[in-house]
Amino acid sequence: MRYALLSVAFLAIAVTVALILTRAGSSLRVKVNMPAVLVAGTALMVLTAVFDTLMIALNLFTYSDALISGIRVGLAPVEDFAYPLATVILLPALWQFMTHHPHLKMSALLKHALIVSRPVSWINTAFPFGAAYFLATRDIDWLLVVGAIYYLIPYNLAMYGINDVFDYASDINNPRKGGLEGALLPPAYHRPMLWLCLVTNVPFLAVLFAAGSPESAIALAVSTFAVIAYSAAGLRFKERPFVDSLTSSTHFVSPAVVGLTLAGASFDSALLLMLGAFFCWGIAAHAFGAVQDIQPDREAGIGSVATVIGARSTVIFTIVMWGTAGILMLMTSWPGPLVAIVAVPYIVNAVPYLHVTDQDAGTTNKAWRRFIWLNYFSGFLVTLTMILWWMTVRG
Amino acid sequence: MAFAYLSTLMGGIVCMLLLDFRFRLFFWRDSASAALVTAAGIVFLLLWDAAGIAAGIFLRGSSEAMLGIELAPEMPLEEPFFLVFLVLCTMVLYTGSVRILERFGKERNT
Repeated sequence: MRYALLSVAFLAIAVTVALILTRAGSSLRVKVNMPAVLVAGTALMVLTAVFDTLMIALNLFTYSDALISGIRVGLAPVEDFAYPLATVILLPALWQFMTHHPHLKMSALLKHALIVSRPVSWINTAFPFGAAYFLATRDIDWLLVVGAIYYLIPYNLAMYGINDVFDYASDINNPRKGGLEGALLPPAYHRPMLWLCLVTNVPFLAVLFAAGSPESAIALAVSTFAVIAYSAAGLRFKERPFVDSLTSSTHFVSPAVVGLTLAGASFDSALLLMLGAFFCWGIAAHAFGAVQDIQPDREAGIGSVATVIGARSTVIFTIVMWGTAGILMLMTSWPGPLVAIVAVPYIVNAVPYLHVTDQDAGTTNKAWRRFIWLNYFSGFLVTLTMILWWMTVRG
Repeated sequence: MAFAYLSTLMGGIVCMLLLDFRFRLFFWRDSASAALVTAAGIVFLLLWDAAGIAAGIFLRGSSEAMLGIELAPEMPLEEPFFLVFLVLCTMVLYTGSVRILERFGKERNT
């Protein structure tokens, strides 16, 4: 009987979502064509009876006899009919809502979503997850693929989508936003964007939570909380000096911790030192990025580590953090110390701005642009070191 | 023989897309919305499959018409293709029915 319960549960989800869409649509005069649903549904039921029977006869799949009701149409268990029933209820409602919405174009929403999610940064969260998981399990399995896809796109969409919606008021005064480093999202797309973030994240999170251990659940919860808390109204961690840099660094380190905990890795001192170094690097990266925004942030009344302690002190702070990251890497086991060299170009990139004033803080944008490309270079070096480590451990 | 199921599914998918193309029903009417609906449908059905596999209800068959590659435990490579086909079939049937019923309604009114 368990299959019946499962089918009812998913059917209920489909019906609930369809009802929500229909209610939301009724004020917009969006209507599902019910006769067409009936025609399509009837056809699908007949097709299911025929082809499910055929597929079961060919032994493409089977069921645990103890868990199904045993009532069959042809060879098809009656519970199987919930699949076409759910799709014919859910999908037309979704389609009708999307194609007949008077103010929203899905092509525009997708285009905005792509820009908002910052494709140049996708790899910055997918790589820490994938590398951590792969090095711990030494295996490519479905969980690695699901997690890597999650940290490649939906996670970034949520992180930057929430940010761009809640930052709209201040971003509109910042000439830097609207390209590589940030996107301006028209207000009509704010709510749809938040919905898109929600529906793209929840399924992945559900799978990752279900597949993991209590440790990985905690890591996931921290990761998700950091994504929301950074910019959502009410929490706005990005406006609290130092908490902003810590949260931002969590955005990049937590995918690695989720990967490690999902893989069941043991956290020895070398691993903790590496994560600590990565965390320091992330704090510095965030603080350095905040320097260029001192003037627009102050005009918009937004706080950050840089607006509070000033441009010069922030640059010193970032250099200390990058230096600390390098020193921590030197303390790890071979070939970890090799990665310490990565700290040098970051420090060299920041040093010319040791005497920057709050007034000309905007000039650090030049170094920030170099920083974005520097990340690809250091990612490459870190990867090479990982391969070297992989070969030492194996050989 | 091992490709039989997969190639049948691909054939079905191509047929659905040809119908879509000929009558401008789904992807050829609003590609962005169609892509979102398809993605939503596949994710929803994959979660359903995953829950069924986790509960021990679904078991992979031993048919020689499949490649034998598993994407995850008890999840054959062919399954996502089947789900794509189911979504496309549902939407071509629905949008096609809308078209036919509308034409039918118009003829009656004139």
